[in-house]
Amino acid sequence: MKHSLSLVFVSIALIFATLISSRAESLQMGISVDTVPVSSSFDGAEIVIFGSIETKEQAALYRGEYDVVIRVEGDAEDVIIRKKDRIGGIWINNQSENYESVPSFYSILSARPLNLIANPIVLAPISLGINNLGKNVPVEGEKTLIMNPGEFSDALLRLRIEQDLFSEIPGTLKQLSPSLFRATLSIPANVPIGEHMVTAYLFRNGKILDTNESSFTIEKVGFERWIYDLAHEQGLLYGIMAVLLAIFTGWAANAMFRKN
Amino acid sequence: MSIYLPIAEMSVNIFVLFGMGAAVGFLSGMFGVGGGFLMTPLLIFYNIPPAVAVATEANQIVASSFSGALAHLRKGTVDIKLGIMLLIGGLIGSTLGVYIFSSLRSAGQLDLIISILYVVFLGSIGTLMTIESLNAIRKSKKDDTPPKRKTGHDSWIHALPFKVRFRKSKLYLSVIPVLVLGMLVGILAAIMGVGGGFIMVPAMIYLLRVPTNVVIGTSLFQIIFVTGYTTIIQSATNQTVDVVLALILMVGGVIGAQFGAAAGHKLKGEQLRALLGLLVLGVCIRLGFDLVATPTDFFNIIGSMDEGGH
Repeated sequence: MKHSLSLVFVSIALIFATLISSRAESLQMGISVDTVPVSSSFDGAEIVIFGSIETKEQAALYRGEYDVVIRVEGDAEDVIIRKKDRIGGIWINNQSENYESVPSFYSILSARPLNLIANPIVLAPISLGINNLGKNVPVEGEKTLIMNPGEFSDALLRLRIEQDLFSEIPGTLKQLSPSLFRATLSIPANVPIGEHMVTAYLFRNGKILDTNESSFTIEKVGFERWIYDLAHEQGLLYGIMAVLLAIFTGWAANAMFRKN
Repeated sequence: MSIYLPIAEMSVNIFVLFGMGAAVGFLSGMFGVGGGFLMTPLLIFYNIPPAVAVATEANQIVASSFSGALAHLRKGTVDIKLGIMLLIGGLIGSTLGVYIFSSLRSAGQLDLIISILYVVFLGSIGTLMTIESLNAIRKSKKDDTPPKRKTGHDSWIHALPFKVRFRKSKLYLSVIPVLVLGMLVGILAAIMGVGGGFIMVPAMIYLLRVPTNVVIGTSLFQIIFVTGYTTIIQSATNQTVDVVLALILMVGGVIGAQFGAAAGHKLKGEQLRALLGLLVLGVCIRLGFDLVATPTDFFNIIGSMDEGGH
């Protein structure tokens, strides 16, 4: 119910945005939720991203010459990739490589495979596509992901895909009509907490015509939020409470089973 | 039914965890051990980040050792003076252990060291226990005279200075080996996520020659404080104690322990020790195999999402 109501609002907002828009070709977008709550029953979620392509070239639109690609990106984090080697008969973490500003979550939603939509020369500068991550030109003075080609960067991408944290699946975006599209984002249960940036790109003939940005937040709520905040902000108090809880449980068990 | 663990940051099946708690609780009730040495590896097999498994297990052991120690206090089988001496060593050891734990974790060798420590300790204790109990079983079949307890004045340990009288244990003993033993077990408790009963109990019997009837109660008494202290220190420094996970394991554990204790009464002491020895060896072999077998994946990622606790 809540879902469909917000979709109505999104649609109305899109219509207004269309009326205001003056560009020849533009892209409008809305997300079904602002926040995804993580409570004790959280086991992943689905988010719907709606939008429309606005153009005066109706014939091209009906021929399906436009493509929309949506990128969902979590907070950047620093990671270490370690490789095990056999040393003295046992397997030990030996060599490692560090990577700065790796997205904690990265998902590409599109109707067709990216390589059919645009050339890597177009996609790499904007980090669009898993294989184009870290191929952009670094900005001076800013932390940027630079992927050194090799087994470590390959392992980083492969492991993140296996963990469902990185994905790029054609068919996750569908055209409802020549101008309206709908994309479905599956959020796994191990999704990182925090703000996720959603960027949509409008393509035609392998060129970017327009982009549109939005975001949603994944946050712990209720009891989970309280526990997490307490553990991280008041570690000592949290530890004392954990011990008291254990003492109480031990006492209760002893008292209960002694009567039997 | 799945439940989201707020610190481990993963969704798990509550019945699987409850079952694991109950199964380990059953064994610990049967053999009179804390069960940490079984539970921590099980949690790691179940993909709980090792750092969270170790710290959370310390929290669970507080509950099971408190429950057990209450029963021993009521029976009067706790040497509180000896327990406090062991405890002083234990708190020093635990502080060191948490510090070692943090530095190993940032060096990326925590999982390896945990596994090696498990293999070494479980291997040696399991072997000793199995041999000793099999000998006892063989002897008891030949004749029924119980083996004489040594008087406790014949080893080098009893020649050390700073002697103190422990009335309950009927011992006149130097505080040095007591403090050192407490400290070693404290370090292990923090790094391995165990109470250390499986090391403390044999060491008290064979090294300090504490009478068997007060060994378990005294060991449990000091384990409450060492694991309680470890829980608090781990929470304050590594933020890796997951109370939701701990609570599920505690409830499963205390229920399982009751049934285990009842089952244990039906077996003879040496039979119990032989079974426990074999169990310990089994866990050791399983962990040792993982160290030497070619891993399915040579690479692993350490980001904020991969170790839990941030």
